[in-house]
Amino acid sequence: MSYIFVSCTADNVAAMASTGYEAARRLEAGNPKGGSGSRTAHGHGHGRTAHNMSSSSLRKKSDLSLLSKVRCGLLRTILTNLQEIFLGTKLFILFPAVPLAIAANYLHFGRAWLFALSLLGLTPLAERVSFLTEQIAYYTGPTVGGLLNATCGNATELIIALFALHRGKIEVVKCSLVGSILSNLLLVLGSSLFLGGIANLHKEQSFDRKQADVNTGLLLLGALCHILLLAFDHAVSSGEQAADAAPRLWLSRACSIVMLLAYVAYLFFQLKTHRQLYESEEEQDDDNDDAVAQDEAVIGFPSALAWLLGMTAVIAILSEYVVATIEAASDSWGISVSFISIILLPIVGNAAEHAGAIIFAFKNKLDITLGVSLGSATQISMFVVPLSVIVAWIMGIKMDLDLELLETGSLIMAILITAFTLQDGTSHYLKGLVPLLCYLAIGACFFVSKSPANQIHDVNAGVLTTSTGVTVA
Amino acid sequence: MASRCYEAARIMEVGNLKGGGGGLGKEVHHGHGRTAHNMSSSSLRKKSDLSLVSKVRCSPLRALLANLQEIFLGTKLFVLFPAVPLAIVANYYHFGRAWLFALSLLGLTPLAERVSFLTEQIAFYTGPTVGGLLNATCGNATELIIALFALHQGKIDVVKCSLVGSVLSNLLLVLGSSLFLGGLANLHKEQLYDRKQADVNTGLLLLGALCHILLLMFRYAVNTGEQAVDAAPTLALSRACSMIMLLAYVAYLFFQLKTHRQLFESQEEDGDDDDDVVSEDEPVIGFASALLWLVGMTAVIALLSEYVVGTIEAASDSWGISVSFISIILLPIVGNAAEHAGAIIFAFKNKLDITLGVSLGSATQISMFVVPLSVIVAWIMGIKMDLDLKLLETSSLIMAILVIAFTLQDGTSHYLKGLVPLLCYLAIGACFFVFDSQTDQNNGIDAGGLTTTAAVTKAY
Repeated sequence: MSYIFVSCTADNVAAMASTGYEAARRLEAGNPKGGSGSRTAHGHGHGRTAHNMSSSSLRKKSDLSLLSKVRCGLLRTILTNLQEIFLGTKLFILFPAVPLAIAANYLHFGRAWLFALSLLGLTPLAERVSFLTEQIAYYTGPTVGGLLNATCGNATELIIALFALHRGKIEVVKCSLVGSILSNLLLVLGSSLFLGGIANLHKEQSFDRKQADVNTGLLLLGALCHILLLAFDHAVSSGEQAADAAPRLWLSRACSIVMLLAYVAYLFFQLKTHRQLYESEEEQDDDNDDAVAQDEAVIGFPSALAWLLGMTAVIAILSEYVVATIEAASDSWGISVSFISIILLPIVGNAAEHAGAIIFAFKNKLDITLGVSLGSATQISMFVVPLSVIVAWIMGIKMDLDLELLETGSLIMAILITAFTLQDGTSHYLKGLVPLLCYLAIGACFFVSKSPANQIHDVNAGVLTTSTGVTVA
Repeated sequence: MASRCYEAARIMEVGNLKGGGGGLGKEVHHGHGRTAHNMSSSSLRKKSDLSLVSKVRCSPLRALLANLQEIFLGTKLFVLFPAVPLAIVANYYHFGRAWLFALSLLGLTPLAERVSFLTEQIAFYTGPTVGGLLNATCGNATELIIALFALHQGKIDVVKCSLVGSVLSNLLLVLGSSLFLGGLANLHKEQLYDRKQADVNTGLLLLGALCHILLLMFRYAVNTGEQAVDAAPTLALSRACSMIMLLAYVAYLFFQLKTHRQLFESQEEDGDDDDDVVSEDEPVIGFASALLWLVGMTAVIALLSEYVVGTIEAASDSWGISVSFISIILLPIVGNAAEHAGAIIFAFKNKLDITLGVSLGSATQISMFVVPLSVIVAWIMGIKMDLDLKLLETSSLIMAILVIAFTLQDGTSHYLKGLVPLLCYLAIGACFFVFDSQTDQNNGIDAGGLTTTAAVTKAY
């Protein structure tokens, strides 16, 4: 930690909290990379994508008056950091869930409790990771910052997926990722457009449809890959294709590479050549003073990096608990594992983004809302899913892109409905209600669905027995 | 003078005009629930020639005759009215059942149109909102009544097929033929319409299609072993989805009648319309009279619907075509004939907003109101009806919605945009013509889980 460099003589600096804070930060920052970290020059250019702005709506301005009383500069710095990190969000009330979850693991509480506490603890951690990524982006410049944001934006889903892979729970991986896409496309977008439409009932609500089109196109590419796998599977079962199913895995891996290629191109498009499509709308001065308009970093670069690593480690721990206890929670609560993976996990994981998207819809800033929801869906579909397949390949686990019929069908319909809803660039509350009701219908469908018990626990190559149903198809 | 006597007769009947400003003012003549649906039917009206009636001395008799003339002769479809008594006669004299089927079908056409007319008349008295609601509910009275009778007789497949067929007919046949003929008639003019209205309807239709697809996939997943074997959830899921669809329909009505009314105002009729089309700014029948006639006609529709549902298998055997073809293609064509004619006429006049309002609005009403209502009514009646249409019907429905959504997405039209949906309908009709579902399915109370083994292997 760089605090070592801060000597206690730092308290010679003026006792004013803000000056002391500035000084402390400057001492920490050392040489800010990129040179423009603390200036207000590119307020929305430092990787301050829609994603970051939506989280910023949950920030609180830190009240530093208490800390100014602490004499020792080093302690003050640490406490300032802690306050910024832990209390800088409205979600801080959920933070106690983190130590509680760890305690629950060691004291052997009920496994369902461990599951619930871990889920609750993940929510503020995900939001803080987004905050820290934004802070780091101030130091690293817009491009790297954008890349960081794109990668860490869905850190929770990625980590949960990797842990589930590691334990061989392929179905949980597939279900949670599909559920995350469905939640972003239908629940977050639908509820935001619905509530925003009601709040702005007689105003005109428009957004830039180019951004929506780009995302929709990529989502359709991802859906195509899943459909090809599913159709291939059926064709093999019904005898149109030769019976050796080895090509399926190869096809999945090839499609994953294609999807990652598309994602790289999308990043290049978004961060380099067509940046102007994605500049988030500036926050007006008349915003309520709860939303912090952050033009400068509030934490030093090494500090932010260290916190980021630390929080990611904690996310990893909680994710491991979640993945390990999902069946126990399912048995204990009496709902199917697919329902938990597809509906519950993503709702909790996305809670911070969801709240942000709704808030910006209320303010009639639909471009940000779309950026958050569609951007997340695209990231998961074109980055996290194929990355999981590649990682599984490396780990020697046979994961493919073949989602089951229900999930694939729901995904296709969700993408189609979203594409049609967004295709004219305007919005009203009924446009939000329709995706929302679609999500309810899909949720009801998965609520009553019940997987045969033997599928979830095995290291499943994804080949479901379809012999009984062949003639039906 | 004919007009003065007529006026006097009407005023005697009308009594207390409810809702104020109901009939006599001209202020918001397209606000009185005069949606596209009503306006399309109005294209089939004829102005009543009251000279004959004016000669009758006794004024109550004159009023009655004026009423009758307005009701029965006020439409160009009056030539079909004799089919109604003929159908009733056919039932009692035990003519061939196929004859009874055909006559009932023919009789339903003018009755459906008259119900729409009466609804519009009542809307003049009740104000725009209730009028709009009435129109939304009664607009597809025929389909609703046929569906309920078929449910009552346990013919679940007929219900499902006739409702799907009605949606397909509205989306592809009515819309396609209107755009095609309208495009030919206005070959070098620009044909525009407001795409926002089309978008709202398309979104709701996609929601309905999603619910059907979920059910279909659920059933397949059960069969292929992806899901546990107890299929009871299908029914619970259908009922939950039906409630979601009804919720969407209520929101749609609220949207259409309250908050975003301006999107749905039908285009005014210009003065240069030909004098066959009655531009009605005031009701021509008193409120009590209209209500009575409405109830009476609905009863006759119910009677004929019962004949239709009762004789559908006999007609199928007699004519040699499958019951699904009759339910999906024939029934809706006849039931929609009046709207169809109206939509084409308005397309000729390059008033595509009305055409779209009629066809898309009907499709949305059936998909989001009549279908889930049938499921709920079946639930109450203890019949196991679910939303699971079969594979062919569901795929046709999805493709129809997609084709229409793409066709309408840019706000303009030409004749090829109409020809494409029309040919899609021909293809779907051909498909159901050759499709021969197993005969024992249609007579039993079918929960929807059809065995498709025979047809499946044929498909490959």
